[in-house]
Amino acid sequence: MLIHTDLLRRMLEVCLSNWAFCHLGPQLISHLCKTGAAVLKAMGRIGNETVKGSLNERPEGPELAAEPWPENAALYQQLKEEQILLSDNASSLAVQAFLQMCNLPVRVICRANAEYMSPSGKVPFIHVGNQVVSELGPIVQFVKAKGHSLSDGLDEVQKAEMKAYMELVNNMLLTAELYLQWCDDVTVEEITHPRYGSPYPWPLNRILSYQKQWEIRRKMKAIGWAGKTLEQVLEDVDQCCHALSQRLGTQPYFFNKHPTELDALVFGHLFTILTTQLITDELSEKVKNYSNLTAFCRRIEQQYFEGHEKDSATIAARSSKRPLLR
Amino acid sequence: MAAPMELFCWAGGWGLPSVDPDCLAVLTYARFTGAPLKVHRVTSPWRSPSGHLPALRTRDEGIISKPQQIITHLRKQKYNADYDLSATQSADTLAFVSLLEEKLLPVLIHTFWVDAKNYVEHTRKWYAETIPFPLNFFLPNTMHKRHLERLQLIWGDDYMEDEEKLEKELYREARECLTLLSQRLGSQKFFFGDSPASLDALVFSRLAPLLKAKLPNGKLQQHLKSLQNLCNYCTSILSLYFPWDGGDPLTGVPRAAATDGSEAEEDPHKRRKQLLSVLVGLVAMLGYAFLSGIVSIQRGSVGPAGRQPVALEEEEEEEEE
Repeated sequence: MLIHTDLLRRMLEVCLSNWAFCHLGPQLISHLCKTGAAVLKAMGRIGNETVKGSLNERPEGPELAAEPWPENAALYQQLKEEQILLSDNASSLAVQAFLQMCNLPVRVICRANAEYMSPSGKVPFIHVGNQVVSELGPIVQFVKAKGHSLSDGLDEVQKAEMKAYMELVNNMLLTAELYLQWCDDVTVEEITHPRYGSPYPWPLNRILSYQKQWEIRRKMKAIGWAGKTLEQVLEDVDQCCHALSQRLGTQPYFFNKHPTELDALVFGHLFTILTTQLITDELSEKVKNYSNLTAFCRRIEQQYFEGHEKDSATIAARSSKRPLLR
Repeated sequence: MAAPMELFCWAGGWGLPSVDPDCLAVLTYARFTGAPLKVHRVTSPWRSPSGHLPALRTRDEGIISKPQQIITHLRKQKYNADYDLSATQSADTLAFVSLLEEKLLPVLIHTFWVDAKNYVEHTRKWYAETIPFPLNFFLPNTMHKRHLERLQLIWGDDYMEDEEKLEKELYREARECLTLLSQRLGSQKFFFGDSPASLDALVFSRLAPLLKAKLPNGKLQQHLKSLQNLCNYCTSILSLYFPWDGGDPLTGVPRAAATDGSEAEEDPHKRRKQLLSVLVGLVAMLGYAFLSGIVSIQRGSVGPAGRQPVALEEEEEEEEE
């Protein structure tokens, strides 16, 4: 069913772009972008609804715990080479790292409309059996319901700290990444706009990326980040890395012997920052200041991603900068 | 160091020195560090120099409005509550502050400002009674819309439309956050030992309004009340650092005194307004009376009143002829 929606989507895009070419007017453009995005979302949801079972419910009860992890579990993200952005790549890598740490096999499938297929609108999402779950938090709970958990050995205080540090990464690192790629004009012009809409024809690509940019900028304003300058944002990233570095200290993982979802999340974000080439190196320089964090990233990569050649994360380990992600 | 800094914040209520979480955070931090602040408790943001509350008027750097920036400024002035913290504890502070801001604060805003029953019966009522005329007609509504829009942007549309999903997931996470805070606090007096730090100021400012306000729809409040160590923590901070401001649970006596005080403050304005309105009414009446000729002063009355009927009669005679 996903293939059919792809075809329908392509037909719709062609029609929409032709229509836009003929009737360019400001009202029509805004109407177009709304309908285009809404239709794409609906397409994605139609694709989801054909999957039997619940879309976004939290799995509860013994009936789901009884099902073992299937072999054909799939993780969906955007196209790796041309489309995916820094923040989405970080989230996706975090989920992949978490699943690797739990020893659960998953295939990574790249789709251009992954964002619209996702039940919550965010990537990555996993398709396991007949369940579709998106974002790291719900995925962790889903995996826990299946009987796999990394944080069972922690006591209450440590669990509180783990949750708090995960929120720290989400609050500071993820928001800083979003700021950099959507609110910094140079980066937006040269990297984000070309990448975000690359699978779609003109003018749909421009419309979609402007719409997303507007949405993200409104959100930044709501949380008070719109007034920040780039220097202040980098300062926040530095503070966050300092806190993480302090907490890690000389231990191999954040909670000593065994990795937890916090390690997966931190790895996902820091590794992506270190290996993504942006306009300037300032962001990755901030992370490189803390040697224990870079050693931590290297250690997790060697341990969990080494065996998979097709995973481009391993190739990145050899070179410090990889031109694949522009 | 000569002139103290001035802080403008929302007035107190429900047994607290200030009802707004941000203002309360700044006040508590100042009390913890003993910073000399002159506190103006105002009842409307239009009285603050920057138009937003809280606002700190400093000597050299103008007016600072964001609570985090105010705390940073106080820290620069050597009023630092985090001086004794180790590096790990500072890192923990940052992490727990993020946890509060992400998980607890939006749900608190929802409980006070967006949840229909709470907003109408409790929050709007309090603000409408406290804010002076004529702002009290539209200011609470403006604040309500602003908070609603902020929540919509943070949470996305599907949460705002689906009440059940919101209740189930977000409130569950907020309850979990409260439980986590309770577990982290344990049986200690403050989060990092025996002396309070900035994290304590922030946690107190978020929890105290939730604890003290009498909300009609109070599921989150009930969960907080079930966590005994957090309740004791809040009440002990209130009684230690704000003994005369809001520590008194009986709102009767201080409330009456406060309303008398506020009435006395408004009194000169009230009298003046009454006098002005009476004067304007009188002037309008007299002016109309003079202009229409109902009332006239003795000197000029015979002339114009007498001439006009004569002129009319002459015209009538002319017309007849």
